[in-house]
Amino acid sequence: MTGEWTRLSAVTWLSLRGSLRGARLFGLVAFALVPTLIVAAVASTHPGASTLSNSAEGLFVVLTLPIVTMVIVLVLSVGQFRNEIDNETLLYLSDRSISRPMIVLGKYLGSLAAALVLVVPAALLPLAVAALAGGTAYSIDVPVALTVAAALATMAYGGFFLFLGLVSRSALLIGLLYGFLWEELVRLLPGSAPQLTLVFYLRNLLSDLLPTGPLSGFDAPLTAAGAILVLVGVAVFFVVSGSVVFRYIETAPERESA
Amino acid sequence: MTGIVDADSVTKRYGEVLGLNGFSASFQAGITGLIGPNGAGKSTLFRLLAGQLRCDAGTLTILGFPAWGEGEFRRSVGYCPEHASLFDWMTGTDFVTTLLRVDGFPRAEAHERALAAIEIVGLTEARDRRLRGYSKGMRQRIKLAQCIAHNPMLILLDEPLNGVDPVGRANLSALMRQLSTNGHHLIVSSHVLYEVERLTEQIVMIAHGQAIAQGDIHRIRDLIDSRPHMVDLESPDPRGLARLLGAWDHVVSIEFTAPEKLRVRTRSPETFYTALPSLVVTEGVTIRSVHSADDNLDAVFRYLAGGGR
Repeated sequence: MTGEWTRLSAVTWLSLRGSLRGARLFGLVAFALVPTLIVAAVASTHPGASTLSNSAEGLFVVLTLPIVTMVIVLVLSVGQFRNEIDNETLLYLSDRSISRPMIVLGKYLGSLAAALVLVVPAALLPLAVAALAGGTAYSIDVPVALTVAAALATMAYGGFFLFLGLVSRSALLIGLLYGFLWEELVRLLPGSAPQLTLVFYLRNLLSDLLPTGPLSGFDAPLTAAGAILVLVGVAVFFVVSGSVVFRYIETAPERESA
Repeated sequence: MTGIVDADSVTKRYGEVLGLNGFSASFQAGITGLIGPNGAGKSTLFRLLAGQLRCDAGTLTILGFPAWGEGEFRRSVGYCPEHASLFDWMTGTDFVTTLLRVDGFPRAEAHERALAAIEIVGLTEARDRRLRGYSKGMRQRIKLAQCIAHNPMLILLDEPLNGVDPVGRANLSALMRQLSTNGHHLIVSSHVLYEVERLTEQIVMIAHGQAIAQGDIHRIRDLIDSRPHMVDLESPDPRGLARLLGAWDHVVSIEFTAPEKLRVRTRSPETFYTALPSLVVTEGVTIRSVHSADDNLDAVFRYLAGGGR
């Protein structure tokens, strides 16, 4: 078991460090700061304290959660396998004695940690700016709820996008289509169709955790626990599916070999 | 077959392209050279052995285990790929240590083994530099370090000398011999044949995805002797010489390659070389030089791969 833990922690650490480096890191940090900059811009117009706090929370619902978090997780997750297959660094892991499911789990945990490093500040910094600029005293429930929602979004999207990166060469494109078309359009459909999106459960969670927040009017069919269960279930499903798939896929780049 | 690596009718396709086409060979203990030109299927075979690819047909075993598989037996195998990138943001020590940790070694032991392997490949001074700053030869050596650091029984080296400077080549060749002396088994691929010839006499020749010859160099020379053997001759009277040689029944063809040079193909090189001096004495012809085009493995390979052309 010690050996397995060593293997898992090595892949996780490798994945985390590999994710947070280079020009991509600067790009993602800049993207993660967008909500904060918007709140700062709003604050510079000296609105009332409640307007500023509402805009910070509202921005989380319309921008940070469905777009910033989704894109950051997408970029960090789909490359975990696809980039390494293409430049053949994955073989340094796959030709070792570590089991393939353990590689998938390690990469998932590494990319999850890397995404959280960016997503959690993206969720909380706008609140901090609103609090400092507008003098709003947030209840502890607000940052906790936003952090939980951001973390669960990272987990669920991360599992799905990691799986996409394993099974498709066009994972980034498919992920963008999923994030911007499926998640945004299907959630607007009537009936139970929105339940086919992850953002539905994230909104359900937020409306339950923050009854007076920006989603107070959301018709939530599930409790917060139920929404958490669905989101964690989605993450587990795709990580397990990825582990099964990775046992059977070839990891050499798709080109004629010598 | 009961070799270190056994391949039985292994076929691997890339769409319409055949990477391996019914490849069968048994790699025995010690150093074995896998020789073939670019595109012959060497890297495909290594990728199959490393578990990156799966055979479409046939069976491939490595130390008795199916090559497409995971588990503890992989600790007994080290693979040094030819083309693979490195984690360029890591230092040499970090790279080797991390991969040892992926193999389950505790932190302290992994660090200790990494330093030892890096010293063996002669990169101690550069071990704390980022890999992105390594030269091609240094990158080759750090890949070799990660390949041997866990002390594997079988070491797979895909074109290990490619891009390494002459001094580095000599050092790496010495290291490979040392590893073999220490009980490791090596499969070394190359398209530069003299490099392998200096390492081992045990070779497997591959072309068009098939093993075209296997054994030691002498056995392959025996194969050659059953095929036309090529000799280049230089004479001031090449036409007169050609007329005399053409009368010999074991001479298959004569080709004028330059104004005073001709190339002779014979089915019996031994008879040819025995009779040539008497031709000079009895017929008075002048032969300025005799050169066998089959003096190295390169020529042997050309014969076999070309089907004796």
